Parts: sequence; structure tokens; C-alpha cells
Amino acid sequence: MANKSIPKKEFFAPIKAWKYIFKKPVTIKVPYVKREAAERYRGFHINDWNECIGCGTCAKICPTDAIRMVEVDDLPHEYGKKPQRPVIDYGRCSFCAMCVDICTTGSLKMTREYVHVSPEPEDFIFAPTEKGIHGIEDVPVGWIRDEGSDLLELERVEMEMIEGEGRSKSFIEYVKGYSKEQAMHEAARCVECALCTDRCPQHMQIPEYIKAIWRDDLTDALKWLLKGNEENNMLGANPFSAVCGRVCTHKCEEACSLGNRGEAIAIRWLKRYIVDNVPEYDKVLEARPENKGKKVAIVGSGPAGLSAAYFLATMGYDVEVFESLSRPGGVMRYGIPSYRLPDEALDKDIAFIQALGVKIHVGVSVGKDIPLQKLKNEFDAVFVSTGFTLGRSTGIPGTEHEDVIQALPLLREIRDYLRGEGPKPKIPKSLVVIGGGNVAMDVARSMARLQIMEYGKVDVKVTSLERTYEEMPADMDEIEEGAEEGVKFYPGWGPVRIVIKNDKVRGIELKKCLQVFDENRRFNPKFDENERQTLEAEMVVEAIGQAPDYSYLPEDLKEKLEFVRGRILTNEYRQTSVKWLFAGGDIVNGPDIIHGVADGYWAARGIDEFLTKGVK
Amino acid sequence: MMNSMSNTVEKLKRIVNNLDITKVDEREIKLELPNEQVLPTLLALKEDGYSHLSLITAVDWIDEGKFELVYILYSWDNGGKFLITTKINRDTPKFVTVKHMWPIARYYERELHEFFGIKFEGNNDMRPLFLEMWDDMPPLRKDFDPFEYSKRKFPDREYQKDVIHEAKIIRGDIDG
Amino acid sequence: MGEVKLFFGPNHPGMHGNFSVHMYVEGDTVEKARPLPGFLHRGFEKLMERRLWYQNLALIPRICVPEPDINEACYAMAVEKIAKIDVPERAQWIRMIVLELARIASHLMSFPGIGGTIGLYTSSFWGVSDRDRILDIFESLTGARVYHMYIIPGGVRKDLTPKIQDLIFNTLNYIEERLGEYETLIFKNRIVHTRLKGIALLDKETALELGVTGVGLRATGVPYDIRKVDSYLFYDKVDFEVPTATEGDAYARVYLKYLEIYQSIKIIRQCLEKMPEGKINVPISEGNALRYRVPKGQAYVHIESTRGEYGYYMVSDGGEKPYRVAVRGASYPQTFIGIEKYLPGTRIEDVPIWLSTMDVCAPEVDR
Repeated sequence: MANKSIPKKEFFAPIKAWKYIFKKPVTIKVPYVKREAAERYRGFHINDWNECIGCGTCAKICPTDAIRMVEVDDLPHEYGKKPQRPVIDYGRCSFCAMCVDICTTGSLKMTREYVHVSPEPEDFIFAPTEKGIHGIEDVPVGWIRDEGSDLLELERVEMEMIEGEGRSKSFIEYVKGYSKEQAMHEAARCVECALCTDRCPQHMQIPEYIKAIWRDDLTDALKWLLKGNEENNMLGANPFSAVCGRVCTHKCEEACSLGNRGEAIAIRWLKRYIVDNVPEYDKVLEARPENKGKKVAIVGSGPAGLSAAYFLATMGYDVEVFESLSRPGGVMRYGIPSYRLPDEALDKDIAFIQALGVKIHVGVSVGKDIPLQKLKNEFDAVFVSTGFTLGRSTGIPGTEHEDVIQALPLLREIRDYLRGEGPKPKIPKSLVVIGGGNVAMDVARSMARLQIMEYGKVDVKVTSLERTYEEMPADMDEIEEGAEEGVKFYPGWGPVRIVIKNDKVRGIELKKCLQVFDENRRFNPKFDENERQTLEAEMVVEAIGQAPDYSYLPEDLKEKLEFVRGRILTNEYRQTSVKWLFAGGDIVNGPDIIHGVADGYWAARGIDEFLTKGVK
Repeated sequence: MMNSMSNTVEKLKRIVNNLDITKVDEREIKLELPNEQVLPTLLALKEDGYSHLSLITAVDWIDEGKFELVYILYSWDNGGKFLITTKINRDTPKFVTVKHMWPIARYYERELHEFFGIKFEGNNDMRPLFLEMWDDMPPLRKDFDPFEYSKRKFPDREYQKDVIHEAKIIRGDIDG
Repeated sequence: MGEVKLFFGPNHPGMHGNFSVHMYVEGDTVEKARPLPGFLHRGFEKLMERRLWYQNLALIPRICVPEPDINEACYAMAVEKIAKIDVPERAQWIRMIVLELARIASHLMSFPGIGGTIGLYTSSFWGVSDRDRILDIFESLTGARVYHMYIIPGGVRKDLTPKIQDLIFNTLNYIEERLGEYETLIFKNRIVHTRLKGIALLDKETALELGVTGVGLRATGVPYDIRKVDSYLFYDKVDFEVPTATEGDAYARVYLKYLEIYQSIKIIRQCLEKMPEGKINVPISEGNALRYRVPKGQAYVHIESTRGEYGYYMVSDGGEKPYRVAVRGASYPQTFIGIEKYLPGTRIEDVPIWLSTMDVCAPEVDR
């Protein structure tokens, strides 16, 4: 069967093997000879503590559970960073380098160092630093993340929009919103570090609702939006999700860990995707709370006022809201143009709040139609959130002319007109807007649309003290989109006087601005008086900021309250120095809707505490 | 699918009614069969050249209350693979042996009994194979939680060292 | 004298693994043998169900110690088959290079096994030291020597640079040169002939009935090789032969391994030549690795490992973790039925040769 023949013994064959006696041995004498590891070697880690943001993504991907995030007390508390650093248990580490490949900043790398000998079982856990785990200077770097091995998706799923030309012809909302596939894709980019939650003034539970989108469970996602963390007093809930999903200043996206190497998650658009795609969302809040038999009055139906109403209603209070204008919503209704926030979105949120039993009285001006004192007598507590309703003027010569107007009244007029509830505002053939903030952009872009509708062409100029687009407080998107729509920008100029001829506004004279803030970061503009230019315009709009109107507060009350730079001072529960009076929104914190929602939330908790303790 | 495989499928259609065919790729076909059709199908396939038994395994579909038995047959002639699957009741998991067709099946079945608790009629050798002194439910069932098991069985050990302090010394933030 | 029960193993993992055989002997002949696995059971199939698709990469190479890359490739290809992913061409060629290098390394590692069982320790030292040269390539390419975690679903993790190509090229030349000396040392060696020829016989019919694959089958004259019959990657685009023998004995099996190294070298050289430039991987799913999902489905992927058919049966329920992964260890048939049925009749001193040349591999059987 098998070939059993045995080869003849060769005489020289064994000698061939002997030649190796004279060759260099294959083995090396460890530890006297140190062998350098390969360039990509996956040895012990280094972690640049200055670059690391403590997001904990390395700990999440670690397949062996070797990485723990540990608090480091003396690291600075900054937005977009957590004061914690990864600690690696080398008793568990499998040196797979997934932590390196997924690191959101690139602070974590692996070295070519691979020898660690210790008889101590305690000696296998380390928090890697810039100098590795052994404190060696210039540790040779081994495995690093590159384009091919990156485990994050850095680019955002693009949002479809109506392009520049098309959108400036109408006030139709131009951001189209994500489709299901797009939203799920975008949600799959999130690493759940929750840096966004820390940054959000209302601490919305962003990673939870993004994860719910990814799981395609929109009811759950909406629950996170409207009820927040139910175990923790609804922290993070936001009744204005449809609004914030469109026009929030999205500070969360600035904190997003993905923004370090790529584009932040489109948190705002994802929020909008949820509210736009759950048809009847009042059903989410099925529990009707026990009525506590106490009444709270709210003055002003802006974000803060209605949020407070929402949270109080969910706690079981009877809430009545007093609004001086004909529709509720405050700045959301009258400030933000409808191409960014259509009425339907706002109505959806407000209808939901009303469905909880909140009564909204419109056209009732507290202080005029009904004194504040009366509210105090009829209700158990009062929350005021009257906002910044007065415009500020530059005060330059000529501003008293009737064609030099304030931004907010103009925006209100435009929205009333578009809704068919007011006369057509005066539409100038040429316009100059003074200001570099979002309100200035709103005026400029609204007017550009009206000009197209009226005359077929745009002549809107925006001038601001700030010398660059980066310096301007407006969102970069707003500036870019405004420019696409035909708005011209003149940054770095200060107004001198309005040019008036024959009693008609002809333009505005400007002088060059050299600096806006001094070295102490205080507003202190400096100008070059010799460099001047004049912009032609039939109308000038001042959009340099707003001021509060406290005329509804009785004098004796005003004396008891404390004001800091025009704002009312409160404690963390938004309670003023007058026990029954709570305040929030622009008159306390500002500057945007989400801060207003946070004010409403904390005020509601404060009012609840105040009323349940029974001290009045 | 390849010609020779579709021929085989045609032949199978003669012995099995309502064949549930999933084409995984060019050379891989999944057939989901009722219990009683499995043995005749396996036999027919074996005679048709798919004589190499690659694997017998099972999948626990706990939500359905079923175990899915999977027989993987392979043909050395054309490189085609048939995945023959059938679902059995999860509460009383029982099936018939194929050890007379493939000797190695005896061990695959013994393994399935150990890891899923499935009994095979005609195969009496159901002694434990891999696990020693096992005292819990068959471990590959979906409701078995190995993490909880190891927590219960093995002590945890915590490090005592202040690693952050050590790291700060290495960084030079504080003196050692 | 009555029947004596003899325990063989559990032995050193470098040999035939942590595996035990209980033998009842009569004189120096085995009368009855019972395989006793389980010493290396780590529950991989269960562990895989509890980790994310990507995280499993750190786990799978550890299933089989001598052949981590086979596992990685099986896993990756099964995922790709279910998710219907087109892997970039360059990645496929690189995978072939890695798999063939792994084959060489594993075959070289089998010489120490043979050497140990017959007392020819020079072959042990040579095999280990030359395998280390292959591990040097792996270290440069993948960043690790033994558990590479390199072949990922969607491609490979890092590119093959020209510098590493040179290293591969030079190492292959070196190995080829060395193989001549192996021929003299092992295959013309009188001890080897005496100890291996006609030992541990397995005929064609038995091998097929048992389901033995790999060199065990090819040593009986059947030219079955999955790379040829059910070709994967680009094995149909390279020119290589499947060496066979007819004797079916231990010597033939060892000699086939030796011949396969030549074929592997030939394949790698062609890969290096044919490999195009381009991308090396694509994401298997949208988003980041923490949120990879594989669509619903199932697939069986098998690969010709050094010991035969190595396979993964994978089921996905569309979630972020595998629903079920079943591993077919290549040496499963010979380990169980082989030992039980065909070990009896062997002399005690031939048992290690039987186990070693039949490639009984405990880690892949136990999982």
C-alpha cells in the first residue's frame, strides 16, 4: 500500500546543517538587546490630555471593556469637554486599536513600546498620557488612525434646501427636512457622548432621542423631547420642539464631539424630523396629573412663558397666560420670519400646550388692561416673561425721521401682513440695515423677499461695526444664505448720520470702524474719522439690539426687585426677590428660545416648590 | 444560481411540496422545510452529490418560541451549498438523528444537545461534550446571560491604585 | 495483565493543542480511544452574540491560535455576503496575500509538531524561527504578530505599502531557499521515513465518509480544495496547483504541506503583481462603528484553511450584533469520529503522529 522505501543515507547531508553554527543566531538576548517594533505596531497607548475631550467613545468601542473613564478633578470645566480621561486596564486590553481608530479628537494613539514587566497585579492599569504609560519622552508612535481605518463618519448628511434664487421669491420655508433614510443615517453618526446635553441650556436628552431615531422608534424619540428624563423631573423636556427643530441657536452642535475632526451631528434637523413625522403627538403625554388646586398667572406668551405654562400644567396647576398681542408666541410669532419658522410649526407646539388645559388670553395687556396687582391677588404665583420688546436706536442725527425704523416693529408688521392680518408695510426700493446680528439678517432677508415680490430686484445693504463675518454675532448660515439671496454686506463701518434731502431719506453716512472690543473684551468701538462712505437708501432699519419694557411693573414692586444691566435678578429657580413673582426669558437671561425654555422649566419647578411648601 | 443547482432544486420539487427557496448567492441556496421533509431532502441531496456535511447547527428564535436546525451540505463536484433548515418547538426540542447518513452528525447532535438542549431520536449518546460540571441552562439559548453567570460564579477584582495621580506625575503636573 | 487506561494529553498548545484522548491499551496497541475535548472551550459563539459587529474583530482571531486570519476572513466574508457589500479589489488581493502568508506560517508551525512527535527537534527550531519571519511581515502590515485584527468586514484596515511589499518579496525568496534545506532535513531523512511512512493510514473512502477535508483528504488522492472548487476572493484569477498524494499516510500529509508552501509563495507573487491601486475598505453600514448594522439574513462562508474546510454560519436579525454565529472547525470530523474509530489499532508511540498529522486542533474544535 504505502511506499516503504527508505532513502539512502547521504554522507554530506548532515553537514549542511552544520553551517548554521557560523551564522548569526536568529534569537536575540532579551533584555540586553532591544528589538524595535514595526512602524504600525499596536503597543501601549499615548493620550494627549490637552487634546482629549473626555468623550468616552474609546471606552464604548472597547471590545474587552478595558477602558474606563475616570474623573480628573482639576481639569477645567468647559463646554464641549468632560473632565475625565480614559484609564486602560492592560490586563484586559487586546491591543486591537479600535479606540485609536474611533477617537473623536485623535488624542489617543498607540506606540511601539511593548515591554511592561511587573510582578504586581496592581501594576497593569494606567491612564495613558502624552508620555505614554512609562513617562518616556518621545515615545515612538505606532498605530495611528488614518483615512482608511477611521471608524467615524465625519460628513453630515446633506439637508435639502430650496436654492438661493428660488427661495428669495417667497416666504415659504426653504429647509426641506430629512427623509427617514437621511435621518436614520445622520443619527447613526452619533457616538452618544452627551457633550451636547451638557451644553444645551435646557439639557435636552439629545443622545437618547437620536438613538431612538436610529432605532426608528419615533414615539420614543418624541417622548424624550416632550418629557425629557422622566425619572429626573422631566429634565431636558422641551415643549417647543417643532420650533427649536427649526430655529434653535443649536449650541449643542458646537459642543458635538464629532465637530473636532468633522461635521457635528445635525441635532437641530433631527429634532425637527421627529416632530414633523409624528402626526398626533399629544398622545405621547398620556398621563393626566392630579390637579393641585392652585393657579398660576403668566405674563407674556413667548418661549419662556409658554414653557413655564407647559411644565406647570404637567404638574397639575391651573395656568392662565396673558398676551398683549393678538396671537400667542411672542418672538416666535412676530420676530422670526416665516421662511425660517412657519406658523404651522408654532401652532402645533402651542396647540399641544393648550391641549393640556392652559388658557391663553390674547389681546390683554398686563399693566394697561389688567394691573399686575390684580393677578397677584387672583393667582397663587405670577411668572413674568415679557421679553425685550423695545428697539434700541443708534441715536445718530436723522433717526427721528419716519423712514428710519426699528427692526422688531417692522418684522411684526411683515408677519401680520403675510398672515393677511395687517396692511402692507412700506417696501423701499433700497434699504440699509444697521446691525450684525440675527435680527438684522431677518430684516434684510425678509425685505429682500418683499422687494423681489414688489419690484423684481433686491437692493438691501447690511452694515455692521464688526469687521468680519466671523466677528458678526449672526449665524454664518444666515449670512451666507442672505448673500445668496442678494443681500450686500458692508462690515466694519459705524453710522455717522442719516442723509436727508428734501425731507426724504437718501442714505446713510458711515465711518470706518477700527475695533469693536477693547483688550478687556468690552464694547468700546474705535473709528477712523477720515475714512467715510455713504450708502444710498430710501429707508434705514436699526437692528442693533432690543430693550425691555417694564412699564407694567408698579413702582413699589420695581423698588423691591433687583436689576442687573436691565435684567431682573433671580435665583436659580427664577424666583425674584419678591417671593410670589417669578421671571424668565429675555428679561432674565436671554438670548434665545432655548434659554427661554430652560427659564420656563426652572421657574415651573421653583413655583411648584414655592406653592407646595405653602408659603405665600 | 448555477445550472447544476437548479437541476437539483427541480428534483427536490418532486419530493417536497411548496419548497421555500432563498437564494443567498450564486452557489448557496437556503431551503426552509417542514420537519418531516428534512430527512428525505437530505437523502436526496446526498445522492445528488451534496454529500459533504459541513455543519449541523441551530439558531434560537426565542421570540418565535422555535429552534431552527440548520444542515449545511456541500458538493465537492460543483462547489454548491445547500442550507437545509427546519424549525422545531422550543419547549420540547426534539428531532431525529442523521447519524446513519453522516457519522460525524453524532457529535454535532451531541453538541446541539449540550448547547441548546435539543434531543435527537435515535442518538442516545448525549453525554456532555465540552462543558464540565455545567449547572445552568444550555448556554447558547438566547435567555442565558453569560455575564450574569460569570458574576455569580467568579469574584470580581478591583484595582486599588490611584491611576490619575500616577498619570499626573508622569505628565509633570505634580511631583512624585 | 488486564486492560490499561492511558491518558494522552491535555498537552501543550503548540503541539496538537489542549486536547485529551483516553485510550485503553492492550500491550502497546490502542484498543479503544475516546476523545475528550473542552479544555479550550471559551464560548466564542455566545460571546459573539453579545458584541457589536465591529467589536467581534478583537475576538474572532483568537478562536484558532495557528490561523487567526482564516477566522477574520470567514467573519468578514460572511458579513459582506449578508449585507451584499462589494469589497474594493485591492482589499481582496491584500486578503489573499494575508491568507497565503498565514498558510505558510501555519504549515511552518506544523513542522515543530511533527518534529516533536518523532524526536527530530531541528525541524522544530527551524519551523519556529522561519515562521517568525512571516510574523515580521504581519507585524509591519497589521501592527501585531499573531492576532492581527486586520481583515475587517468591508476590506482591510491598513494599506500594503511598497516597503512592506519589498519585505514580503524578500522573505518569500528566503523561505523558498530554506525549503530546499527542509527537503534534505525532513523528507530525505531516514528517521522521518521510518517513522512516518505507512503510519496513520486513512483511505479515500473513509476520508470522504468522515467528511475529512484539507491535506488529510488530498493525501488520499482526492484533489479537493475549496479555493478551486468553490473559489472565493480572486483565487480563480491566479495560477496554482493543488498537490495531492495517493499514499494516505502521515508522510504524505506532511509532504503535501511542504508542497503547499511553494504554491502559496507562487500565489502571493502573483497577487503582488496583479494588485491594483485603490481603496482598501468600505464601511459595512452607515454611521460610525458603534452603530454598524447588518441587514437580516444568513450566510455560510467556508475557506480552505491549512487543515481543511473552515466555515462560519452567520445569522443577522438586522441588529447591531450578530444574532448567531456558528463556527465549523476544520478538524472536527477527524478529531471526533477519527479518534474514536480509526485510532484503535495504532501503537501508542504512533498516536501523537496520528493526531499531529491529522491536524487535530483543539481551539477550533472547542471554540
